[in-house]
Amino acid sequence: MTLTPNALCFGDGLPAAGAPCVVTLSAEGVSMRSPDGAGGADETVAFSALSVAAGGLDHDQLVLSWGSGLSARTLYLKDPALIVAFRRTAPLELTAHLERAAEQVRRARHGHRLWWGGAVGLVVAFGLLLWLGSDVIVEWAVARIPIEWEQKLGETVYRDFLSKETVLKTGPAVGAVEEMTQRLTAKIPDNPYHFKVSVVQSPVVNAFALPGGYVVVFTGLLKKAESGEEVAGVLSHELNHVLQRHGMERMVKMLGLAAVVSIVAGDQQGLIGLARQLGLELATLKFGRAQETEADVTGIKLLSDARIAPDGMIRFFERLSDSDKGRVELFSSHPMSAARAERLKAELAALPQRSPEPFGFEWAAVQESLAGTEPKQ
Amino acid sequence: MKSEILYPGAFPMVRVYLNDGETVKAESGAMVAASPTIDIESKMEGGFLGALSRKMLSGEKFFFQTLRAGRGAGEVLLAPTVPGEIVVMDLDGVNEYMVQKDGFLAGAEGVKIESKMQSFTRGLLGGEGFFILKISGTGQLILNSFGAVHKIELDPDEEYIVDNSHLVAWTATTTYNIEKASSGWIASLTSGEGLVCRFRGPGVVYIQSRNPGSFGAWIRQFIPVSE
Repeated sequence: MTLTPNALCFGDGLPAAGAPCVVTLSAEGVSMRSPDGAGGADETVAFSALSVAAGGLDHDQLVLSWGSGLSARTLYLKDPALIVAFRRTAPLELTAHLERAAEQVRRARHGHRLWWGGAVGLVVAFGLLLWLGSDVIVEWAVARIPIEWEQKLGETVYRDFLSKETVLKTGPAVGAVEEMTQRLTAKIPDNPYHFKVSVVQSPVVNAFALPGGYVVVFTGLLKKAESGEEVAGVLSHELNHVLQRHGMERMVKMLGLAAVVSIVAGDQQGLIGLARQLGLELATLKFGRAQETEADVTGIKLLSDARIAPDGMIRFFERLSDSDKGRVELFSSHPMSAARAERLKAELAALPQRSPEPFGFEWAAVQESLAGTEPKQ
Repeated sequence: MKSEILYPGAFPMVRVYLNDGETVKAESGAMVAASPTIDIESKMEGGFLGALSRKMLSGEKFFFQTLRAGRGAGEVLLAPTVPGEIVVMDLDGVNEYMVQKDGFLAGAEGVKIESKMQSFTRGLLGGEGFFILKISGTGQLILNSFGAVHKIELDPDEEYIVDNSHLVAWTATTTYNIEKASSGWIASLTSGEGLVCRFRGPGVVYIQSRNPGSFGAWIRQFIPVSE
């Protein structure tokens, strides 16, 4: 008759993976036999001859050992019902052994819980810190990103974006934007970025900056602006988003732990992969109010340093606050335009008075050159 | 179910004979050929949640193939993805094997496959991830290795040190700890071994003669990187 094995027996002459055996308990001790009835007569070991311990990968098996030398045997009991039955049947002299085994299991499980609890707690705490917008962690992580990484990351998204758009390569509008960019960037002290500004054909009244110094100006903005100084104001604002690394900060905040781990581990490709996942969202990241204000304030200072009339920027905000908000998309998620204009007036009053130098282009001619371009939705 | 290893060595296949009505579950994509009496079904072993946890946690495939001799006895030829040996073992209901995630090739109907969470330190440092496969039940279990497979037999309390990247499977009666290969961290790292597993018997440990991670790193140098 074949019986179902409920334990593994180890010892000299037995398979290394253990010989399956059928264990039964009685008042005399532990009896075992092979499941198919082969292997000779039943062997019964008195409780007094046994030593007991916890064993197995998770300390969840009861290990019974007896004998020495070639006759040494070890039984591994896994079945919980058999373990409970053994505890009930075993005489008092084995109580100390069983308590020691139970303590081993408790310690192993406690350690297991402690480690996992600690790890989960740490991850949750870290996630919460990021979720609640711990600027300290974000700033710390962003400060660890080399400029070259940032440029590569921005370039990847920039190329993806431009490949789907109509980019103006030449013409008065491109020349005008290049002149503004050149005058502004020339006044940035210790500029680590090689700014690249493209003019993209679109009715959208907007401009945006990507990490690493990649800026896109839409023709809709050029058509809407009343002067070159207004566009230069927007451009200065966008350049300062790059200089203050606002895009990187928003990206790390959005991607959270994965981005921080990539940065700490020095995994440039991983970070670029994550940024790619964000894709164009990176271009349209909503900056926080504090970041917008910082870009405004540093932007107007840069305009002043470049001797570009800073009131163009203020005028633009004033016009925005007056105009139909449904049609003007620029800064729609930003602080109220009127309040921004007031803040900028105060900032401008505190700056040294500099006489502005006019641009080398005629703004009317720039706008006229765009009149024939078909808006692309 | 009976099985026979064909072409032992680096590129083996296993021929599984099924009686009428018998089934074998195999890793998704493992079937090479089969008799016309064999029907192929895709099955989520352990139900949806079991399959999901296996996929999410241990990186194993979400579906297993179930090959059923539904229209008479027949045979199935199975092969692993990577070059390496195949090992067949019989489970008798009390043996349990822990298997690294790419080691499972096939198993009889009575073989049970679960994901098992390792202790934190083993999961973090062991190189197998936080979850491994726990295989128990009855019937034949077929594993595959990367390179040749080698069996280490351990007596009670006997110890053996294994580089964790070379692990294939080990019995649940063994215990192991993760430790540095050398006494100091620098020596451990510069020796190229880093962390190792110190196994303690009784039980058996199956190891593979090649390290998939190192092979991947070696082959990556020849792959052009697109910028």
